[in-house]
Amino acid sequence: MARTEKLERLLKLTAVLLNSTTPLTAQELKLKVPGYPEAPLSFNRAFERDKDDLRALGIPLSMVQITFKDPPVEGYLINHDDYYLPDPELTPDELAALRLAALTVSFDGATEAAALWKLGGLVPFGDDSSEQDPLASLPMSPTLIPLFGAIVERRKISFGYNDLDREVSPWRLDFARGRWYLIGYDHNREDARNYRLSRIAGEIELLGEPGDAEPAPEGQRERTLRAWEIGDEEPHKAVLWVSQDRAPIAERMLGQSAIAVRPSAEGVEFDVSVSNVDAFRFFVLGLGDQAELLAPQELRDDIVRWLSTIVGES
Amino acid sequence: MAVDNCGGELVAPVSAGDRLKLMLAVVPWIVANPGHTMAQIADRFGMEPDALEAELDVLWMVGLPPYTPDTLIDILEDPETGGLTIKFADYFSRPLRLSHGEALTLLAASEGLRSLPGGEADGPLDRALAKVATTLSPGAAGAIEVDLGAAEAEVLTELRKASVEGTEVNIRYYSANSDSVAERKIAPWRVFAQDGSWYVVAWCSQADGERIFRLDRIEGFDALGTVSQHRPDDSALVGDGETQVFHPRPNDPTVTLRLAPESAWVVETYPVQDHKVMADGSIKATLVITAMPWLERLLVQLGARSEVVGADGLDDVATIRSRAAARILQRYGK
Repeated sequence: MARTEKLERLLKLTAVLLNSTTPLTAQELKLKVPGYPEAPLSFNRAFERDKDDLRALGIPLSMVQITFKDPPVEGYLINHDDYYLPDPELTPDELAALRLAALTVSFDGATEAAALWKLGGLVPFGDDSSEQDPLASLPMSPTLIPLFGAIVERRKISFGYNDLDREVSPWRLDFARGRWYLIGYDHNREDARNYRLSRIAGEIELLGEPGDAEPAPEGQRERTLRAWEIGDEEPHKAVLWVSQDRAPIAERMLGQSAIAVRPSAEGVEFDVSVSNVDAFRFFVLGLGDQAELLAPQELRDDIVRWLSTIVGES
Repeated sequence: MAVDNCGGELVAPVSAGDRLKLMLAVVPWIVANPGHTMAQIADRFGMEPDALEAELDVLWMVGLPPYTPDTLIDILEDPETGGLTIKFADYFSRPLRLSHGEALTLLAASEGLRSLPGGEADGPLDRALAKVATTLSPGAAGAIEVDLGAAEAEVLTELRKASVEGTEVNIRYYSANSDSVAERKIAPWRVFAQDGSWYVVAWCSQADGERIFRLDRIEGFDALGTVSQHRPDDSALVGDGETQVFHPRPNDPTVTLRLAPESAWVVETYPVQDHKVMADGSIKATLVITAMPWLERLLVQLGARSEVVGADGLDDVATIRSRAAARILQRYGK
């Protein structure tokens, strides 16, 4: 029962705040919203918890100074523009498509249902109930929501990565190869960079004001980066020969990171853009003796050195 | 968490916060869409009608000061149709905006569905996303890209169809384990994406058992349309949640490696019996070996920075590794 009383109080508190055009003090709210304890200390505790509960739901409860009172006091306000969801006017088939998406691609600790409630409810998507098994599940990461918030609000951020503090204008979150990546502008290196979320240490710190971030360039590449494209290194243009047998597999794995493909003696040659030598070496060695890294000499030497060290060890 | 993972049905909300979240969405919907029955509304929000009725009961007490009948929220039920109307709730006439977490999960799921090979452009999902984007900050457009893995649209569609219909398919499959291409007749049971690749769990006639195949290694296929005798009813691989893609047998040999710290991912990716982080950051891991070509490749990829510490059921792993490396070196004229 206590829970229902609490729900009732939170609903009344939200209603009173939404209905007021001026900020209300804690004492005013205590008078207007029944259900708070009388004793000042208990009231303060209950009121603090209620504020936390509203904010945890995303209710934009803001605090302002009421300066015409003497002494000035703090007042609480819910800005209507920040609270009310504009009606996106989704048609039933559009709502059904969103529901199908939520059922097809699930999220660890998902809140899709709550989003769908707000947008108009769960609309069935035809009679094909046989495909309700999710096809894929996306992992949650502790920095994912703060990073998304920073991207949406175009805020500069800083975080620890590879033992360094990075100041970054975040542009996009990419889910690829089962992992989340952040793509953005690195202010320390003055260039676009990408970061694996699992390697971000600690919390995301917001810098400056919303809108302060460096905007993403027009025509930003909207495709998945391969492991050898994700790195801090100056890009190499590598030439890789792959046998006829393995060429179809290699072509699929290289994807659009292969800038050019041409037939070659008993196989196929690929031009590949490489900015992470370790990752590319790993890929090339995975093709065993069915592949040969032809150029640049520097990368070819790296592979020969790698293999010679193994042979020399035994 | 009051909601399940697939955005479907609602378990009764537990905390006051979760219940408030539901109320702040249901009440505006009823205000905007008067005349629906309790059962219709419950269906819309993935609840049982009784549970919704119990939740809505709290509204009788909610309103504005001085909480006289004309300032309390009023729920009216049409005696003939059972249709509900809510009055005196103007302040709840629209739902709360999407939180960052809600927007993120909805956009990511939608981008995931859109990225499916063969996904329809300019369909209802694209239109829905464009409309939802107008309710978010301008920065939300293009904020998320999801790639579930490479697969050809035709392969994905046909395998999903076969898994629903219980029919058989012939595939030409490249096996990384044996490093060879072979024809197989399979009966697909379940298609799923995990860790950046698409897989199909299927009954394999050649192996006479269930197997998992990677879609990007299927080089050709032929839908036979014949109904398979083998159904996934007792399958350990068809079910909810994470699927173990590797299936070691009890007598498979093992190899113990001391992995350099940068190769720690091996422990998360491959079937590891046992592992221990050492004082210098290196990791001692015992791997189950299901196929020799796979082991050779992994040892060469890990390189000399990872050390072979021991083996069970295999002779001289160091020699296996150096022979594999020497074979590739020949390519380079060394």
